[in-house]
Amino acid sequence: MRARASSPRAAMIPGFVFAAAMTCALSAPLAAQEENALGRDVYDRWCASCHGYEGLGDGYAATYMLPRPRDFTQALYQIRTTASGQLPTDDDIMRVINEGMPGTTMPGWEEELSLEERLALVDYLKSFSRFFAAGEAPAPLTFSSPTRATEEALADGREVYELIECNRCHGIDGRGDGTSSPTLVDDAGMPTYSADLTENWYFNGGGTVEDIYQRLRTGLDGTPMPSFTDLIDAGVITDEQLWNLAHYVRSFAPEDPPGITEVIRAGLVEDAPLPDGVDDPLWESAEAFYIPMGGQIIESPRWFVPQVAGLWVRALHDGGELAVHVSWSDHSESPDTAWAAFQAQVLSALGPAEGDMEPGPRPDGLYLQFPMEIPEGMDKPYFLMGDPLEPVYLWHWESTADGAQEADARGLGTMAPQGNASQSLVSEAAFSEGRWAVMFRRTLENEDPGDLQFRIGEPVPVGFAAWDGDNGESRSRGSISSWHYIFLQEPTPATVVVAPLIATLLTAGLGVLVVARAQRREREGAEGPDEGDA
Amino acid sequence: MNTKPWKHPLGQAAIVVVLAYVLFEWGIWLLPPLFGVASAPVPATVVLQYMGTVVVGVLIWVSDSEERWKQFKAPIHRVMVDPRQKVLRTALMVTIPLLVAFMTFDRVRPTVSAPAALRSVHPAPPGQIDFRGETMVLNGLENPLRHEGDLEEHYEEGKRIYVQNCMPCHGDALDGQGHFASAFNPAPLSFQDPGTIVQLTESFVFWRIAKGGPGLPREATPWDSAMPAWEDLLTAEEIWQVTIYLYEQTGWEPRTWEEEGAEGEEH
Repeated sequence: MRARASSPRAAMIPGFVFAAAMTCALSAPLAAQEENALGRDVYDRWCASCHGYEGLGDGYAATYMLPRPRDFTQALYQIRTTASGQLPTDDDIMRVINEGMPGTTMPGWEEELSLEERLALVDYLKSFSRFFAAGEAPAPLTFSSPTRATEEALADGREVYELIECNRCHGIDGRGDGTSSPTLVDDAGMPTYSADLTENWYFNGGGTVEDIYQRLRTGLDGTPMPSFTDLIDAGVITDEQLWNLAHYVRSFAPEDPPGITEVIRAGLVEDAPLPDGVDDPLWESAEAFYIPMGGQIIESPRWFVPQVAGLWVRALHDGGELAVHVSWSDHSESPDTAWAAFQAQVLSALGPAEGDMEPGPRPDGLYLQFPMEIPEGMDKPYFLMGDPLEPVYLWHWESTADGAQEADARGLGTMAPQGNASQSLVSEAAFSEGRWAVMFRRTLENEDPGDLQFRIGEPVPVGFAAWDGDNGESRSRGSISSWHYIFLQEPTPATVVVAPLIATLLTAGLGVLVVARAQRREREGAEGPDEGDA
Repeated sequence: MNTKPWKHPLGQAAIVVVLAYVLFEWGIWLLPPLFGVASAPVPATVVLQYMGTVVVGVLIWVSDSEERWKQFKAPIHRVMVDPRQKVLRTALMVTIPLLVAFMTFDRVRPTVSAPAALRSVHPAPPGQIDFRGETMVLNGLENPLRHEGDLEEHYEEGKRIYVQNCMPCHGDALDGQGHFASAFNPAPLSFQDPGTIVQLTESFVFWRIAKGGPGLPREATPWDSAMPAWEDLLTAEEIWQVTIYLYEQTGWEPRTWEEEGAEGEEH
């Protein structure tokens, strides 16, 4: 599709000797590119828009992404089976093409491209760097077999986690909030977040115990994540302990990635008071729902690199009040001065900027959005904070404000708190080990005509938005969800017990009658002539 | 009862009923995709209706001849009266009521679901739209860039616009699997899908891009698509360019107004 300029590089080197030397160094990759027409076609068609036609990681979308697309000329590959500092094997490159890099903008291409195309692509990617042409094929490390995740293994893994200072970046509870976290940059000088270990479905190299062990052995080259193979070689820890660590890291995340449900069930609490804080033990028994979030890229100024990837929502009611508990991972309690430089790096890495992108202290934030009243049909206000005709009712919380407030909005950027007399929310927020937890509580019904009146047994539309201030987020730059529903559970109706009971009695009674009748006839039949009919 | 089960009327009836259930529940859903034909699970109420029909049919068949009817009920009768079958009889008389209890419970227990939302996938486009203060007549409108300038340049520019604006939701592979896609319901469209842009004229695509979710007509309920109204961010030329990219990249051909007209006359 695109006419490629022939490379002027070799011609610009003065002197015969230099020219000859450069030809040796460059000719192998260039020749390989010329021969691999299929690889080039596939690359130019599907990959170049992010990675750039010259493989420099500078495609059209590069400045809309953090982490940036890979620069193939550097031959630095994160996900390998080879030792730290080594080139990846062909299979390693193929794996990332097939499965993508979870947690980044790189998707898997296994279904989109044929095997032939993907094989040609592997060769083409390698041709961007002369390192591949120069040496022998890299040899993968030998990995031991997985150990079992026993209690002892997890306890030891926990000790190793502290011993080799994983918590320095990943934090004590694995949420990426360690003290070194705000200083992290990758080899290209771009700000890099340490992985949130509670979301293993976003691990760049996969979230299984085997994946984690392999990343611990190989490191993620080009990022601050080191390899720990040398600690085994030096006798500081054993290979088995590295497996223990892998099991411990895996244990931060749930067994399975969360499913997405449209409806948040608010359980009915009948025999205990509703929780009055974020740490109330009653929350542990409440069902948790995962709400995936995306960047606000609907209206300008937009935000392409949100940090709040998802919210965990729990809800309970007692027939009189509704309590909602929202929690999410956050690297910091914004605004945190330790993160000021990091925030400035994030903002300067993005471009072209829309609107004011000046760094500065910004709070973390969250809102829950409801319609003004429960809709009759399918009609709901516009999901992005309503519009002038159909406003929305909000529960808005900010880390720098004293308690959550009720607010109204008639479109993005028009949020206005209700008057003091109308404020009726009870709230509590707490930040601990890289996790925000915010609780809201309100009576289901009140006298305020500007508030939504909740009703039990009817789905109420609810939407969410969240901001990470130390990531540079504020106002229209944050993450949003579309409409979900919250459903206040009704008391269990008597029919749930009575109907199955009646059905059982009827069936059993009928069965007994039929069998008894058949047996009586059988006896009578044995005495008299066999009619054989029931 | 030494005859083979498939030669006995009761066995035959059971086999037919089980096979029919497997076909309705899974066959209709899973078999056609093996041959490249799209399919979907059959709703439970429809399966119930079909099974009712099958059971009635089987009963008519077994009672059709006196001999077969006798054969059919002989084993049932034996289980009910034979002293040697006491264990089986007791087991059935316990398990069948329990099964009925469970099925009843499954019916009456409270379940929670979002209100059903009817959706029109391709709402009828308006005859004309207002684009940045200018009236654009959509009826019969072709993509002007197909005959203006260099198509490859338009494609390249469309690619830039796509990855900078559309890709986070609609995906690198135009399959609707962008990294923000799971946050939005209704889910972003896949342009690879044979049910989307291949059915449409380029002017329809222009209208949907320009007006987005907020510009959906009233009948295109529910009005909660996250698709932005791109007229605020892109020029008309840029929208036509990204339209060219969508078709070139997926390999689909846009529907033309001649086809549209021919189609209209047939109806």
